[in-house]
Amino acid sequence: MSALDIIGVRKTYGEIETLKGIDIALESGEFLVLLGSSGCGKSTLLNIIAGLAEASGGDVRIGGRSVLAAHPKDRDIAMVFQSYALYPNLSVHRNIGFGLEMRKVPAAERDRAVREVAKLLQIEALLDRKPSQLSGGQRQRVAIGRALVRKPQVFLFDEPLSNLDAKLRMEMRTELKRLHQMLKTTMVYVTHDQIEAMTLATRIAVMRDGRIEQLGTPEEIYNRPATLYVATFVGAPPMNLLDTVADGGRLVLGDNAALPLPQAWKDRVRDGRRLVLGIRPEALQLDAAAGPAISATVEVVELTGPELVVSASIGRQRIMACLPPRSRIAAGQRLTFAVEEDAMHLFDAESGLRIA
Amino acid sequence: MSGTWMSTRAWLLMTPLLAVMIAVIGWPMVQTVGLSFTDAKLVGTAGTFVGLDNYARMLASSNFQRTLVTTVWFAVVSVGAEMMLGVLAALLLNQEFRGRTALRALMILPWALPTVVNATLWRLIYNPEYGALNAALTQIGLLDAYRSWLGEPGSALTALIVADCWKNFPLVALIALAALQAVPRDITAASLVDGAGPFNRFRFVILPYLAGPLVVALVLRTIEAFKVFDIIWVMTRGGPANSTRTLSILVYQEAFSFQRAGSGASLALIVTLLVTLLALAYAALVRKTAGRAF
Repeated sequence: MSALDIIGVRKTYGEIETLKGIDIALESGEFLVLLGSSGCGKSTLLNIIAGLAEASGGDVRIGGRSVLAAHPKDRDIAMVFQSYALYPNLSVHRNIGFGLEMRKVPAAERDRAVREVAKLLQIEALLDRKPSQLSGGQRQRVAIGRALVRKPQVFLFDEPLSNLDAKLRMEMRTELKRLHQMLKTTMVYVTHDQIEAMTLATRIAVMRDGRIEQLGTPEEIYNRPATLYVATFVGAPPMNLLDTVADGGRLVLGDNAALPLPQAWKDRVRDGRRLVLGIRPEALQLDAAAGPAISATVEVVELTGPELVVSASIGRQRIMACLPPRSRIAAGQRLTFAVEEDAMHLFDAESGLRIA
Repeated sequence: MSGTWMSTRAWLLMTPLLAVMIAVIGWPMVQTVGLSFTDAKLVGTAGTFVGLDNYARMLASSNFQRTLVTTVWFAVVSVGAEMMLGVLAALLLNQEFRGRTALRALMILPWALPTVVNATLWRLIYNPEYGALNAALTQIGLLDAYRSWLGEPGSALTALIVADCWKNFPLVALIALAALQAVPRDITAASLVDGAGPFNRFRFVILPYLAGPLVVALVLRTIEAFKVFDIIWVMTRGGPANSTRTLSILVYQEAFSFQRAGSGASLALIVTLLVTLLALAYAALVRKTAGRAF
């Protein structure tokens, strides 16, 4: 039995349809990340699961039971918000125990549960403080503690790390992953940060304009993006997208540049078809023997520390490559990049769909 | 160097205002203090120095004591009711429904009316011969015969309090509504998921955000209610049988009706002192609330 079923969920505000039929089935213990830019409907979907927004159609089942008619408190969920949403005049202890207090759990039992969670999150020393006396990271721990203490079937996270600074965000990300590995609970996590999605998720749903663009494991999303949108959304720097036309077993990139059409696509791509060739910056290599090669003129070289990001031009098209930091490259230099066949992604230029 | 120059310029710019303030507030104040130590009449002799006699007589008089009780009663009941009505109205107007904006604008109306207009309006409503209240109450059968609401000592003060509430609760509602809009959506959502019912939500989510602004409203309204004059003067002039006489009315009667400028001045200063004490106590309360809330 799945822990969470989202079946054909729709949401309309007047004329505008913000969710156009979402279907996801989540096994117990999965970590689902809803990934997308703002306005894609990911937060609306999370709010519908929580019961903070009403669905216009479809069904949401938690543990097999339809919950659309149930009050948020009766859905067996807990939620962590971007703004932490702590009760400002209650101590950390009461904040964490608030859900239990409202459910009339006896004080002694409540205290035990709160202390257990506080220990897990290393905030035992803060239990008597008010939220205003805590740092952002500590507040987020308290917010997570408030969710954990209730031991719900499904945890919902609404961009919980967005308000933290970069360093803390990374720490909390690892912390969340550790918690998930330890507790093995079902989690649904909304973010627009593709790194968070890649690192935390067991499955990612990339959303766009109220639809799921692709649902898959992080590896699938990264290695086999289903659409151009997914291809550009996941990965930093983003995947290089080169306009190309198939011509006699070659992919013509313009200005005499071309790559051989990989064997796998030979019989599926007719000559003259307009395509987009996707190559991840990290898939480009300087070792000419590694695979088919293309020449490019280096325009800008940026050293980020762990790698050298090279921007180069192939005729009128631009390409970025992430190379080892010690590579000796200067602007204006002519380079030959090699790319392995299975590192090439081919999309239809019109529909944006992957050519499988 | 520039500091002295700046402060010289600041004083220079403030001088006209200070001059006006000294002329219209400072000087009369000094005059009043001087007057309060004499037995001066409003017209005629300048009066002779009587020391603290006026103060002693006023504080000991049953008139003053009764009036003080009336004033405190008026302030406590009307401000209390205004706060409750105001918060209730704000909670309602914070809900989403059609016509909310229109209703919010409409609610401000009583507060926007000049007090004299409001008082006249309510005098019409309470009119013993053709008043709307009498008509309404007899028509629904709650009342056998028309009553003179403002003419009977038993009902006049309550009738006044109702009129004052109607005028002033929108101010409280306005302040509360602004505070309610500052309650973060996420916290409300979190309390829903945590299972807090309406009462607990009000207590733990809304009240912390409401407390500070409400204390400010409380301060403003109590001080105003303590000094109330105009609405009472228009509706009852302190009658019947002095049942609606508040301190400001008493000051007016003493100084102008009875033309006893000396004792009127001493009474005015007593009222000023009481209001100042009230303001100081409230200022401490505001500081405490502001320090505690977040």
